[in-house]
Amino acid sequence: MQKPTWKSTLKGYLYLLPALLILVVFSIYPIIKSFLMSFYTDYDFFSDTVNAYGLENFTKLFQDPNFITALKNTGIFVIGVVPLSIIISLAIAVLLNSKIKLSGFFRTIYFLPFVTSVVAVAIVWSWIFHSDYGLLNYILGLFGVDPIDWLTSPTYAMPALIILSIWKGLGFNIIIFLAGLQNIGNQYYLAAKVDGASAWNRFKSITLPLLSPTMFFVSIISIINAFKVFDEIFALFNGRPGPANSALTVVYYVYQKFYEEWEFGLATAAAFVLFLIIFLFTIIQLIVGKKFVHYN
Amino acid sequence: MDIHLNQLSMVFDNTTAVQEMTTTIKDGELVSLLGPSGCGKSTTLMLLSGLYKPTSGSIHFGDQDVTKLDAEKRGIGMVFQSYALYPHLSVLKNIMFPLRMKKVPKKEAEARAKEMAELVQIGHLLDRKPGQLSGGQQQRVAIARALVKKPNVLLLDEPLSNLDARLRLEMREEIRRIQQEIGITAIFVTHDQEEALSISDRVMLMKDGIIQQESAPQNMYKKPENEFVASFLGNPPINLMTLTKTHESTVYRLADSKEIIQLPALPPEDMETVRLGIRAEDLFHTTENPLFQGEIIHIETIGRDTLIRMQVGSITVRALVDPEQQLQIGDAYSLGVRPGNVHYFHSESGKRLPLQMRGGNWHAKTNVEEHA
Amino acid sequence: MRKEALSKGTIYILLSLGAILMLLPFVWMISTSLKAPNEVMAMPPVWIPSEWQFGNYSEASESAPFGTYFFNSIVVTVLTTIGELLTTILAAYAFSRINFYGKGIVFAVLLGTMMVPGEMLLIPNFVTVSNLGWIDSYEGLIVPWIASIFSIFLLRQYFFSVPQELSYAAKVDGCSDFKFLWYVMVPLAKPALITIALLKIIGSWNAFLWPLIVTNSQELRTLPVGLSAFTTEAGIKYELLMAASTMVILPMLLLFFVMQKYVISGVARSGLKG
Ligand SMILES: Nc1ncnc2c1ncn2[C@@H]1O[C@H](COP(=O)(O)OP(=O)(O)OP(=O)(O)O)[C@@H](O)[C@H]1O
Ligand SMILES: [Mg+2]
Repeated sequence: MQKPTWKSTLKGYLYLLPALLILVVFSIYPIIKSFLMSFYTDYDFFSDTVNAYGLENFTKLFQDPNFITALKNTGIFVIGVVPLSIIISLAIAVLLNSKIKLSGFFRTIYFLPFVTSVVAVAIVWSWIFHSDYGLLNYILGLFGVDPIDWLTSPTYAMPALIILSIWKGLGFNIIIFLAGLQNIGNQYYLAAKVDGASAWNRFKSITLPLLSPTMFFVSIISIINAFKVFDEIFALFNGRPGPANSALTVVYYVYQKFYEEWEFGLATAAAFVLFLIIFLFTIIQLIVGKKFVHYN
Repeated sequence: MDIHLNQLSMVFDNTTAVQEMTTTIKDGELVSLLGPSGCGKSTTLMLLSGLYKPTSGSIHFGDQDVTKLDAEKRGIGMVFQSYALYPHLSVLKNIMFPLRMKKVPKKEAEARAKEMAELVQIGHLLDRKPGQLSGGQQQRVAIARALVKKPNVLLLDEPLSNLDARLRLEMREEIRRIQQEIGITAIFVTHDQEEALSISDRVMLMKDGIIQQESAPQNMYKKPENEFVASFLGNPPINLMTLTKTHESTVYRLADSKEIIQLPALPPEDMETVRLGIRAEDLFHTTENPLFQGEIIHIETIGRDTLIRMQVGSITVRALVDPEQQLQIGDAYSLGVRPGNVHYFHSESGKRLPLQMRGGNWHAKTNVEEHA
Repeated sequence: MRKEALSKGTIYILLSLGAILMLLPFVWMISTSLKAPNEVMAMPPVWIPSEWQFGNYSEASESAPFGTYFFNSIVVTVLTTIGELLTTILAAYAFSRINFYGKGIVFAVLLGTMMVPGEMLLIPNFVTVSNLGWIDSYEGLIVPWIASIFSIFLLRQYFFSVPQELSYAAKVDGCSDFKFLWYVMVPLAKPALITIALLKIIGSWNAFLWPLIVTNSQELRTLPVGLSAFTTEAGIKYELLMAASTMVILPMLLLFFVMQKYVISGVARSGLKG
């Protein structure tokens, strides 16, 4: 390719213009804006005027017990969803990868929830979680478990949310793991088999290490996505953050402050904190991910 | 339509790919651009096509200055090394593509494409996709596509290098046939000298972005204008050695040994050292006034010829000899050459030097005895 | 003999068990959606309705303007997808085939913004959209979403795999850049474009938070927002709720069944780049 000229530069930006226009207005500008907004302490949305700046939003934020609850709940949610989801999806991916017939068929089924509306499936699950007539309590009842108030008891709201989220996200992880597994050359397994390694040993000493970059990617993506949970909560608890704020997460908190209470400064400050957390994990991914490059 | 290149240069970040090239390509001529890898052949072609714009200099098609004209407006046809067929289009659609871009009505475009397909003998493959064709067939499609819009110039960049040896031979004759049939000006890039010498009206030999020599193929072979041209052409490669004048003005010896060389033709008198070039096939066995005398160190049969390597002083000399002869490694042997087949080059510039023929009273033999 | 940890039979049983768990909510949803009210709350649960109440579907669509929601969802999804394809094609072409000053920086900045969670952009974008007067309008639902860095990135990779010689050949054949893009690159990139389009369709159809905050009136709600509002309206009529959910889910399920190859390859590729 030839060096850029002014003519080619003009052409380049012309082609880029539509995408760039949208991305600048709706991705780049808002990043800067939300950074600034988190320092607005006195803001009038209707006239879009700022009367005062300051760090007040952040101090207020961390003094707000609801925000602390939101952080805590988000943390619990991440810990509840990510490891379980990874273990289950890895297990399923390995099974699917074991050269059986119908593996494409199973893959399709496991992937189904991914393409469906969170709101719609959350509503379906809220019916399944129904304490008197729900399917789940009925099935548990067959094993002698007393009916559980899944959606109305603060203790069980979070587990219900976790179950729904794992079910919804499994397919994505499985596909990524399958792609990772199929990337591992067959020669390693052949070599190991010649060496007489058992299936479990093969898994432990070949699959897992060679899959570690994928594993890492899936973990980070799952963590990031888990931090952003909102739609599920809104639909599962019918527009409330669970009983007694038991499913109040950071994004839900942002939504409350912003859309219900019109506290723009506080809401952007909370969003900014969320961004910092996610940013941290992305950076970890980049740094640790670099190390993994030497693996293959 | 003649093509004039004037002081054409192309500089990439830090390499000069083409340097002040000035030449004219005549209407209807097939010119080969020949040279080692990286000498700037493709770049020259890209400049001719308009895909690259030169750093300096100009290109004229006839009277028109096309230096700044974009490729799509130059009216050229081009065939690429990888053929560059559109994988998603059928053969027919591939050939029609340039016409469709020129808004030629569909019916007419189709008729012309079919006609062109017949010319390159792929009329039976029109519905296939490029992926379903052999290399040679793809090549024909590429040629048809390049020619269908009746271009002023046909540019071919190593069009045969992806084909096997047999097909290469066949296709190069085919290209020549088609070129002559429609009388188009064609520029053919190759790094295969045999290819260049066999099909072109004229060969341009390049090195480091500079044209070394441009002439008819046989002329270039017989009268290389410099040492590079001499060494680049010919297989086995030409024998090259440095000669130094002895105290006697007509007697020369090999530069780093005492071996005296019996020359049938002499370099200009004022040269202390010169480079001598003699092609292996121009050497023949003789015992009378031999040029080289030495011991055979290697024998190899190439097709119907026998190639020997002979140690002469500090150098080895290659010669193609009569295969009937019973030769063995270690045999003493002697070789001669006709005066017209001796090439001299300037030892620094590498430029060709004129010969001086010796007179009849040539006492080489006595010279040898004196110095032995 | 190869020593397997699990026999083929065990693998099938485990996978089938998992598959049943995955499918159960869908089956339960459809089953409930076809039940008469008295069967909905029956214990033990009735799996197959004694009489299939297809009327639930029409009753659901009458008790809320689902026709409007459906129409809005289709308009928003189709226009967003077309818009994104157009901006993506042009931008990916610029990044893969045109050399211009600032290309590296622009690309790096765009990639950098991929790290920022969309939720963070929600509030400033809401402000922007309301300043533009786009609250409660199709523009507000569509325009912010017609460009995606991920798609540009994906297509750019695909465009890179098209040999440079092909663009030279096209130039010589009389194509301008734009024609080359249109007649050669786009047809060649069809699989990638289908993948991009499908992921966009799915995302756009299912989007919730943004349509929730930029629409006020019923007339502009999309299906998920309308469905969410319907939960309050329908109260405890689960058969209607399930019928409505089915109507939201079914189009994507069908689309996925037909085009799953492209969806899955797109998702898999998003993983490989990590
Ligand atoms: N786009 C480019 N950017 C930088 N340098 C280039 C570019 N194209 C060619 N060159 C350099 O210019 C010189 C000439 O290249 P060119 O491709 O013309 O050689 P060539 O004679 O066609 O060689 P080959 O027989 O290998 O195809 C080389 O040194 C090459 O590295
Ligand atoms: Mg070349």
